[in-house]
Amino acid sequence: MPSLADLQTDVRQALTSGDVTALESVLVGGTRAQGRLAIHQRQYEASLATALLEKFPATGWLIGSAMMMRVAKVFLRAYPPDRPCIAEYGSEFPTFLAAQDAEATLPYLQPFAELEWHVGQVSIAISEAPVAWSQLVCVGAEALPKVGLTLQPGLRHVHAAWAIDDLMKVYLTGSAPDRFTLADTDACIEIKGARGEVQFTRLDPATFLFRTALAMGRSLGDAAERALDRDERFDTAHALTALVVDGLVTALNPETGVDA
Amino acid sequence: MSTWGATADASARRTPRTAGVGLRLPHLAEVVATRPRVAWFEIHPENFLANPHACELLQEVSQHYPISVHTVGISIGSTEGIDRVHLARLRGLVDALEPVLVSGHLAWSTHQGAYLNDLLPLPYDDETLAVVAAHLSEVQEGLGRRYLVENPSSYVGFGSSTMTEAEFLCELVRRTGCSLLCDVSNVYLSARNMGYDPYQFIDALPVNAVHELHLGGFTSEPDEATPGGEVLIDTHAAGVAEPVWELYAHAVRRFGLQPTLVEWDNDIPPFTTLAAEAIRADEVATMTQKDSRALAG
Repeated sequence: MPSLADLQTDVRQALTSGDVTALESVLVGGTRAQGRLAIHQRQYEASLATALLEKFPATGWLIGSAMMMRVAKVFLRAYPPDRPCIAEYGSEFPTFLAAQDAEATLPYLQPFAELEWHVGQVSIAISEAPVAWSQLVCVGAEALPKVGLTLQPGLRHVHAAWAIDDLMKVYLTGSAPDRFTLADTDACIEIKGARGEVQFTRLDPATFLFRTALAMGRSLGDAAERALDRDERFDTAHALTALVVDGLVTALNPETGVDA
Repeated sequence: MSTWGATADASARRTPRTAGVGLRLPHLAEVVATRPRVAWFEIHPENFLANPHACELLQEVSQHYPISVHTVGISIGSTEGIDRVHLARLRGLVDALEPVLVSGHLAWSTHQGAYLNDLLPLPYDDETLAVVAAHLSEVQEGLGRRYLVENPSSYVGFGSSTMTEAEFLCELVRRTGCSLLCDVSNVYLSARNMGYDPYQFIDALPVNAVHELHLGGFTSEPDEATPGGEVLIDTHAAGVAEPVWELYAHAVRRFGLQPTLVEWDNDIPPFTTLAAEAIRADEVATMTQKDSRALAG
């Protein structure tokens, strides 16, 4: 008889590839027990495919549920979850989806699916207490460039070459018009959400770079440099003030911001 | 053997010996808003750990109801060991909620870095017993409290098993000091699928170790393993079947009044339907107790 570890390897293989030959002589249950393993195979496939479809309903609306289901089943075999909280499963799905039959795929499919992933994440976030302006003032001008900022957990940034936020709004509001023209534009999108609410804001490219750099843990000085490289008119003081006044900063991290 | 007696006794004193309801995400906002008459709620922590908003609402629910935490992701039967990151997250939630019960399954779900999102079967032999007992001790240490182990719903077994499921559970209790969660529907379903007597199974469990009961719905489908036969699937997508209510009465006679959970996880009906199933569970348990006393008196 195989060891427990070998048995589990064989069952894993049967679930993810459908190959039950290694288990034929060891299973019991009914007159042809490997047929019963199909129950576990179906549970594995159906539960994860359903989870993906529920996580990407707008993407399914865009490409059709049949294609979504087909790609979801391929994805879950290639990339089974690696942790038990299924709410965290699927972040790689947009890239995988866009790579399937790439020539026939909508060119904006990947950023649209990525946008939807972020919408899902921010809608279940909760807002944390924001930093007050007085706390920032206490840092001092010399130390300020080295400071990193922690931003609200329900804040994400997506850059796309199409107005995918407009398309997402059409889906979320259930207001699909007879005809919709997707604008070919440079869209720097900020997604802000908490407790079921989601908002989209278009940022100018320099502010977008500033905020994404901060979100990645860069220092204020480094984030400002990136923004200024993009647009020499970028006003760091104004951008910082806007972040604090809008309640988007939840912590100051002296000396922890990463320099370029 | 670990000693979790004091923790278990304290929890048992706070645990209503009545029926509770599984609290799933579609009902969460309604429960917060309306505070329905339900004795207690059970939650699956994996639905909340990655959902801060749901977690926030759950904290509010826990201010008004006893909570039981029933994990589906601990995988005590996996040869690759317990996911310590997940165990630590679970401990954080347990500390925040102070649940009356914490439980999970006699099963495995993780292997070679993959979480297979199902409760998979184990052979019942000495090797598995050593693996599960070691992991169960680690889980109880990690959570700082006694853990209840639930009997699985079975469709297949392994020819290498050297003991019955009930014998395996008895030995697990003896080695680790864990408690048992007897899922009455699983007993019925597994007995039908695997060909044994569900009443004998319940009679074989250690009476003092069973501290919770579960009831859930199943569905029947043609059995691919036995042409012309049927197999029962633990879908939790229907009401409790009549033969299971009868088996539940037998379980109450054997284990006494215990917290009993009504589970419904798929095709979730309006909350009132769940509450009605919980009322029926209480009625069956109370009637059974009265009959038992009358027979004894």
